[in-house]
Amino acid sequence: MQIPAPFDYVRASSVDNALALLDRHGAESRVVAGGHSLLPMMKLRLARPDWLIDINDLYELDYLLVDGPVLRIGAMTRHTTLLESDDVRRLFPIITDAEHVIADPIVRNRGTIGGSLCQADPAEDLSTVCHVLDAVAVVRGPAGERMLSMAEFHRGPYETAVAQNELLIEVRVPIRAGSGSAYEKVERRVGDWAVAAAGASVTLAADGTISKATVGLTAVGLDRNVTEVEAVLVGQVPTEQLFAEAGQLAADACDPLADQRGPIDYKRHLADELTRRVLRVACSRAAASVPDVTIQEG
Amino acid sequence: MTLEQAKIEETGAMTFEVNGTRVEATPAPGQCLRTLLREHEHFEVKKGCDTGDCGACTVQIDGTPVHSCIYPAHRAVGKQITTAAGLGQPGNLAPIQQRFVDASGFQCGFCTPGMIVTAAAIEADAALGVDDLPRLLKGNLCRCTGYRSISDSIVGQHTPPDGSCHTAPGHEHAEASSLGPVRATGRTRGARGAGLVGTSPGAIAGERVVSGLEPYTLDVAIPGLLHLAVLGSPHAHARIRSLNVAKAAALPGVHRVFTHADSPTTLFSTARHESRFDDPDDTLVFDQTLRFRGQRVAAVVADSVAIAEAACRLIDVEYELRDAVFDPRLAGAPGAPLVHGDKDPVVSRLADPTRNLVAELHGEFGSVDEGLEMATTIVSGRWQTQRIAHTHLETHATMGWLSGDRLVLRTSSQVPFLVQKEICRLFDLDPAGVRVFTARVGGGFGGKQELLTEDLVTLAVLSTGRPVQYEFTRTDEFTITPVRHPMTIDVTVGAQGDGRLTALKLGVLADTGAYGNHAPGVMFHGTSESVALYNVPNKRVDAQSVYTNNPPSGAFRGYGLGQVIFAIECALDELARELGVDPFELRRLNSVRPGDPLVVTHEEGPDLIFGSYGLDQCLDLAEAALKRGNRAVVPVGLQWRVGTGMASSMIATTPPRGHRSQASVQLVAGGRYLVRVGTTEFGNGTTTVHAQIAATALHTSVDRIDLLHSDTDSAGYDSGAFGSAGVVVAGKAVLAAATALAETLVEVASAWSGHGLTRGTDTGTWQLEHDGLRAVESESELVSLDTLMHWATANDVGLTAVRREDGALRSLAFNVHAFRVAVNTATGEVRILQSVQAADAGFVVNPEQCRGQIEGGVAQALGTALFEEVVLDGAGAVTTRVLRNYHVPQLVDLPVTEVYFAQSHDVLGPYGAKSMSESTYNPVAPALANAIRDAIGIRPTELPMSPDRIWRLLHG
Repeated sequence: MQIPAPFDYVRASSVDNALALLDRHGAESRVVAGGHSLLPMMKLRLARPDWLIDINDLYELDYLLVDGPVLRIGAMTRHTTLLESDDVRRLFPIITDAEHVIADPIVRNRGTIGGSLCQADPAEDLSTVCHVLDAVAVVRGPAGERMLSMAEFHRGPYETAVAQNELLIEVRVPIRAGSGSAYEKVERRVGDWAVAAAGASVTLAADGTISKATVGLTAVGLDRNVTEVEAVLVGQVPTEQLFAEAGQLAADACDPLADQRGPIDYKRHLADELTRRVLRVACSRAAASVPDVTIQEG
Repeated sequence: MTLEQAKIEETGAMTFEVNGTRVEATPAPGQCLRTLLREHEHFEVKKGCDTGDCGACTVQIDGTPVHSCIYPAHRAVGKQITTAAGLGQPGNLAPIQQRFVDASGFQCGFCTPGMIVTAAAIEADAALGVDDLPRLLKGNLCRCTGYRSISDSIVGQHTPPDGSCHTAPGHEHAEASSLGPVRATGRTRGARGAGLVGTSPGAIAGERVVSGLEPYTLDVAIPGLLHLAVLGSPHAHARIRSLNVAKAAALPGVHRVFTHADSPTTLFSTARHESRFDDPDDTLVFDQTLRFRGQRVAAVVADSVAIAEAACRLIDVEYELRDAVFDPRLAGAPGAPLVHGDKDPVVSRLADPTRNLVAELHGEFGSVDEGLEMATTIVSGRWQTQRIAHTHLETHATMGWLSGDRLVLRTSSQVPFLVQKEICRLFDLDPAGVRVFTARVGGGFGGKQELLTEDLVTLAVLSTGRPVQYEFTRTDEFTITPVRHPMTIDVTVGAQGDGRLTALKLGVLADTGAYGNHAPGVMFHGTSESVALYNVPNKRVDAQSVYTNNPPSGAFRGYGLGQVIFAIECALDELARELGVDPFELRRLNSVRPGDPLVVTHEEGPDLIFGSYGLDQCLDLAEAALKRGNRAVVPVGLQWRVGTGMASSMIATTPPRGHRSQASVQLVAGGRYLVRVGTTEFGNGTTTVHAQIAATALHTSVDRIDLLHSDTDSAGYDSGAFGSAGVVVAGKAVLAAATALAETLVEVASAWSGHGLTRGTDTGTWQLEHDGLRAVESESELVSLDTLMHWATANDVGLTAVRREDGALRSLAFNVHAFRVAVNTATGEVRILQSVQAADAGFVVNPEQCRGQIEGGVAQALGTALFEEVVLDGAGAVTTRVLRNYHVPQLVDLPVTEVYFAQSHDVLGPYGAKSMSESTYNPVAPALANAIRDAIGIRPTELPMSPDRIWRLLHG
């Protein structure tokens, strides 16, 4: 048996209740959602909260909603729900791509998007995906709600802007007509943490040129989008040469560490290779998408 | 807030349903659901990792499968929980469980209850479908089967015993595997479906395994059970200057604290062999000198694991640090820190403790220099293998208690009789006062040929008088359980233009870590059959196994051969390329055949013989399958390169210098037979095979055979389940005993009929059948076995036959593996397009089980070849401490392997059978390396051949 340090456990009955509990128990309390990252860390004593506040029953945060020009994803939405959603597949295939390579079905049954983003593991796939999609994190605390861009939300490995007495409650992803997106990772074994991964979202103008392009990388030491590629891609017609150029920029921008999953130059090479691949797929998906995506007003 | 929740907060008690039965429980703060369910004796919920990675603890909560080990117990309030036992029970199995029985969808069966819970949920969810099964099953690990049979079980494709084929989902491109040709025995007079040798009856415990009701080591409730936890050394090399256990001993719930002051002073080895002199005596139960990180410093016995672990943290230890050595190449250098400098080389049986040398071998046959002179082509290279963890799903564990004044140990071991012998030696106990037994063991692969938990439990039981349990965590399995020996192997091989080998030179450096358990055996075995396989007039071997302050290495499937075969078979492949000879042809030209001498550095002793020979067939079968190809789709794109490769291996069917087993077979009421045999079932299938052997010899059916095994109280002595001895040694003892009893029954029938008991004469007139005996000449009516038994009892005639087998003669088994692969030059990714193994297992007693052994061995070897590695930080600390970063293959990672059997019939083995468990692993990594070499033009020489390493080869 692997036994965590002693802790007290309480189940939150609502978002407000969870916030009140966080406030009451202070710095040594942690929120647990699916529990797939925190509980093993506690068993290995890498994390030792005194209070565990279980928000697993907050069904009010388990929803997917196309709301005008944004997709609203409740923080407690399970990976399985994201993977199986037709709306997600249609609007943001990058999320479906990423969910397909995240862990295994049993983990996906419990694991949540909010848990993944708040854990902020550098090898975590959804953080990159949200960066690439210009998602907005909705964080609620005693003083009310605040909206954070991913750049503001994600401060670095295992660190986010969510304060101790706050809760991530929703992720909002803007819907853009004429867009396509894709995610791909290289892993040692299927469902494993990424050796490296890349995601891209591309919007094509009516004339076939790229009007917006975003590339993000996972597990290679870059906590932001590869903004360098935008200037190269925007206004151009997609070509292999363009993808190669973007790949090179991505390789230059990243800052990987050597570890069990591979040496630095290999990971840098993968940043290049995978950037090309996801741009290729994202552009072809954008071209195939109906330019006038019907967006329900709601 | 619901009423139920309010109830928790007020009283801590809560209710939920398990398999339809209401359970009231009061979980401890922070308790997970797995341990709560086991406290309520739901032992079908297993522990494989305790961190949500393996799936052995999977249960359904309101229909959704979850890992109960990371599901807070409190969360279960008001929920409906379904375990494997809730899906169906023996006699009333759910269809999915029945299919696991029919398709042999398990070996050790420890992962099976969790696997079936997941499978049932997949089946229940029409939206999922089985097309994506490899990905849907990623959350459940199996270390034994290689998953093909699991996949077949789930989709309902049962491979029929006639040897036809299957395609697993996601592997539709795979060609049919052939279970044939299987030789008929000519002795199958029993009823149809009798399960005789040569057919594939399912595992005897099948219905209990699939419903989670077959008990494993810890699946029993013992009142008053205490728990033991160990404080491990934080240093790689240190001496304990002082220890203060006062605070730990004073913690409420703590019963005893043990330190080196309590240790027996007898040196031993955790490795267990038939001869205890095979391994160096360099280990103490507790040692004041600590030689690797994690070595026992102290142990605490307490009311719970949590208290015992808490008490361990309260022990104050002052360490005197010592210089350490981690690089095996530096271990022998002058001035290197000495790991066992205090040992007497004679007493401890060490080659030279002043040079950290545990064992060495230097020898030459012919003259390698002259052989290389004669060669027109010479290939030389260095190969490196890594540490591998066995990763059996059931961790090491022992429960011990006193029964009267006798000590009883229930342990997860491959060698209960050898554990009994050594425990008695260490604690000066009379063997008559010690019983060691195993329940069903959840996998071993060599890892349980060690005495790792039994000694501490003995110490704790003897000093407290209470029942005590010691269970390894998954992290213990990665950090303190001996791993596969890492080796650096130099090979030089020369040949003449016609392809005939002229010289083979081998240099081996094995890192045995801080203790020498299995060090000599692995080194000698590793350099034996690997070298003896080839007719080369000039051979030289220089091998050393050295101490370092790394965690110990030990026995692992293949016992050293896998490492050395990797190097030699790769060198031969390179040689074939340089010579322009086909690699299959190079083997045909140079492999030994019956009549050839078996030479390593000298000719092997007369105990090793060609009891049969099927290597030639294996080469033909593998080559033909590769030529035939399959429907695998080659990935499109310029980045993909395709190649093929093969490798051979040979293994002796039994360990050298004796492997002993005594079996008895007794006629009991109802025309049934009771077989007692000491060997252990840990997924290798020996119980089924022994029942088949006995049923065949006694002209009955397997359902009439009962087995008692793996218990020093209820069976005769057996050296244990290692060295592939389960069929060829223990099975042979069973055959001899069953045959003897059959003869006795004929004699007794003759006596019963009025002729009096005249042994050995005139017995041919009676014939043993399923339900009794019949006089052949007079065509009499059947005399029932019960009638004979009553007559024999009344006349004081024994109906038990006891026979021994000593493994004095050993035969040779062969395996050939071949691959076709695609390698992505941009990412280094290897995709296996075709995997073929041809095996010479002699007569195949149970084709389906034997195929499972081969598929499982190939799967484990592919993990070794592609991604598994126990990684150290260079200072003796393991960094891969959980399954989340030590990767064993999942269904989705593996190809379906085509399995072919050679037709051969061994003169030694029972019914002509040979061993086939370890050997299946050995040719896989070199065959894959050779295929990658063929694809990309550069040779990988380091394991694992991970994408970054392949990419490095291409982009230097």
